Amino acid sequence: MASRTVAKDIITLRGSAAIVSEFFGYAANSVMFFYSILYNRGVYPEESFAKVKKYGLPMLLTQDEGVKSFITNLTAQLSEWLEAGKLQRVVMVIMSKATNEVLERWNFSIETDSHVFEKGVSREKSDREIMREIQAIMRQIASSITYLPCLDEPCVFDVLAYTDTDVAVPFTWIESDPKLIANPQMVKLHSFDTKIHKVDTLVSYKNDEWDEQ
Amino acid sequence: MILRTPPPKKQRAEPILHESPSPQVASEGRLVIYEDNPLAAPPPESPHQPSDHLLCTYQCRQMVKADFIDALSNAEKQIRDYQSKLEILNENLSKAEVERKKFRDQFLYAEQELAAAKGREQMLHDQLLKEVNDSQERFKKQLETNNELKGKLQNELNLRKKAESSAASAEEKAADIEGKLTQFSQSIEREKKQLQNELSQLKGESKLSISRISADLERTEFRANCAEKESELLKEQLEDLKKQLNECLNQKSEVEKKMSSFTFQEVTSSESSILIKHLQEELRNYESEVREARKLKSSHEDIELLKAKLLEEKGRRERAESELSKLQEQQICLSNLEKELSLWKLIMKDIPGVSCPEDIPVKFATLQKEVIASTMKIGETNARLKQIEVGLDAAQLAKQNAEAEAALDKEKAEILKSEVKRIELMLSMVTEERNKLSNAINELKRHKNEEAGDEVASGTVVQELESSLAKKESCIKELERSLHEQKEINDRQHNEIKMLHDRLNNEARRIKSLDRETDRLRSEISLLESKLGHGDYSASNTKVLRMVNTLAVDNEAKQTIEALQTELQKTKEKLQALEELKSQSGDTGKLVDSYISEKITKLKEQIATLEKREERYKTVFADRISVFRRACCELFGYKNILGKNIELFS
Repeated sequence: MASRTVAKDIITLRGSAAIVSEFFGYAANSVMFFYSILYNRGVYPEESFAKVKKYGLPMLLTQDEGVKSFITNLTAQLSEWLEAGKLQRVVMVIMSKATNEVLERWNFSIETDSHVFEKGVSREKSDREIMREIQAIMRQIASSITYLPCLDEPCVFDVLAYTDTDVAVPFTWIESDPKLIANPQMVKLHSFDTKIHKVDTLVSYKNDEWDEQ
Repeated sequence: MILRTPPPKKQRAEPILHESPSPQVASEGRLVIYEDNPLAAPPPESPHQPSDHLLCTYQCRQMVKADFIDALSNAEKQIRDYQSKLEILNENLSKAEVERKKFRDQFLYAEQELAAAKGREQMLHDQLLKEVNDSQERFKKQLETNNELKGKLQNELNLRKKAESSAASAEEKAADIEGKLTQFSQSIEREKKQLQNELSQLKGESKLSISRISADLERTEFRANCAEKESELLKEQLEDLKKQLNECLNQKSEVEKKMSSFTFQEVTSSESSILIKHLQEELRNYESEVREARKLKSSHEDIELLKAKLLEEKGRRERAESELSKLQEQQICLSNLEKELSLWKLIMKDIPGVSCPEDIPVKFATLQKEVIASTMKIGETNARLKQIEVGLDAAQLAKQNAEAEAALDKEKAEILKSEVKRIELMLSMVTEERNKLSNAINELKRHKNEEAGDEVASGTVVQELESSLAKKESCIKELERSLHEQKEINDRQHNEIKMLHDRLNNEARRIKSLDRETDRLRSEISLLESKLGHGDYSASNTKVLRMVNTLAVDNEAKQTIEALQTELQKTKEKLQALEELKSQSGDTGKLVDSYISEKITKLKEQIATLEKREERYKTVFADRISVFRRACCELFGYKNILGKNIELFS
């Protein structure tokens, strides 16, 4: 967070983009660990996660090199798009490995303050408050095990980015369909706001057959 | 009456003294005029009557006469008084009769008015009853209409629910079919595009490969020619070198000879021979090393050529493998597409009215139109329902108003009934009083004949009549006033009720419209929130990008990179060994022969020039290949980024 001063908690566009992209990385790790706890399928086993302290909470980060590089590349690209003000939404999609059916969507909607982006002004907000808000979201992601339906099959994840149409598509990204769920159940989680970027979190999941009955 | 027959005298003084105050007494006192009538001797009436009558004198007679006259005058006076009194009484009686007549007329008038009021009350009562009956009938009719409306509303609601459910199911089906169609069409188009792109890519690549192969052929031919020329040059150089070497050897032998001849005293022959042998051996070694260096250089060049060929072949192999994998994937996709096509054909068979894929958009358009029509119908039914609800509310309000009015009318009827009862009571009272008056009048008539002491009673009766009539008039006036006031109050209340009713209706309509707007806004908000959470987006503002899962690809790249890195290390080691050899050969050559070192330096210079040429070729190749890659990127939209692989060529 090189562009923030310690004395006044001033946040610039670059600093806010770094906070938000870091949050995505840790949130993705939380979601993956959550599934690894549930399934323990060996794709990302529980042992491959290491405990670190972040946002005042014990966070678990994967040690798999491939996943690490994937997430670092992802967060780097997201940070770039956030600084350019081109990113509208980030979606982490959980799909069945066998049928490619979308089972869950972790939706992170982003609202950018266009005034900051156009004029280059900075905002004031204390780090502690932002961390507290992110902490609440992480706790909710961890506690979502209580209401999300059980998935009894191996799953894979993918990451979608909703951007403006004038964004140049990087080499490692391709255009895709939104991978929607038909008649989903939705649960809205907390949001956090850096005064420049506001991130709303929502998880939508496929209706469980037992619930429908 | 004066009796002509005088009573006995003795008796005359006593009865006269006793009977003189009253004329009746006088008439019974029998004043007898003294007449000497010896003949008419009175019968001895009483033994005690003295015969004193003969003693009565003229005075007595005059006294009696005077008394009689006084009595007469008194009686006359009394008569006159009585006559005057009688006249007065007659006058009073006439007056009373006149007043009685007047009161009787007034009484009759009051009776008529009472009858009229009664008639009006009866009419009002009848009217009220009629109104109550009418309101009750209206109320019943409204209840019936309400019940009918409720039944209609129920029917409409049921129809609406059915229509909504059918519309929802149709919409869902249509949406599902739409989504599936769009997905499939998108996927088909994407795959088509991909296949077309791949086809074009393959074509281009094949062309490129052909051109590359031809270029490679030319290059190899050129290289071969160059290599031949170089080899010829090298051969010539080698021959020159050999000649020079021979010359050097000859010179060396001569020098050795000279040295042996000149330096024989200083160095023993064995040592010189040993030195010479050593030098010869070293020369041989150097020659062998030079040969090995040449061989190594040629082999290095061969290796580089082979490596380049190997890389090309590897690239071709990778491309072929990727194309094979792509082929397999595309075969799988084709099989999936065929399955989907068969599924869609089966679905098409299920869909009525669709025989070929071209009918699907038409059918879809018809379904959309049907959906639109059904939504319009739903909207219309909703509007009708709303109207019916509004009408029902209005009817309920009217019903409530009618109930209130009926209650008010009932209250009024009860009040009027009470008033009627009161008036009847008053009427009964009035009739009683009238009867009393009639009785009093009859009594007056009776007493009029008798003319004594009846005037007071008639006056009281007349006063009673007057008071009762006045009371009745006042009651009637009060009744009329109260009726009028009640009418005014009723009219005012009616008007207020109507105004309030209108205001209530307007407010109820406003409330309904506001409720409808809030429902619409809530539905829109929920729709938007669901769309937001669902992940919908507008294609004009947003595009969805997916990060390619490079985890699998990276592993292969890592393996190739590791293999190339090992080869690079091996070549580096070999180069280091060569350089060490070169440096060693350079160090030891100084001791032996400067000419050889010069040759070696010349060879090194040649090697340097060759290397420079090679580098130049490489830079030219890099420039040409970058232009080629840029052209490919612009043409096909794909570009390869080589990071670590570039180091292999340096």
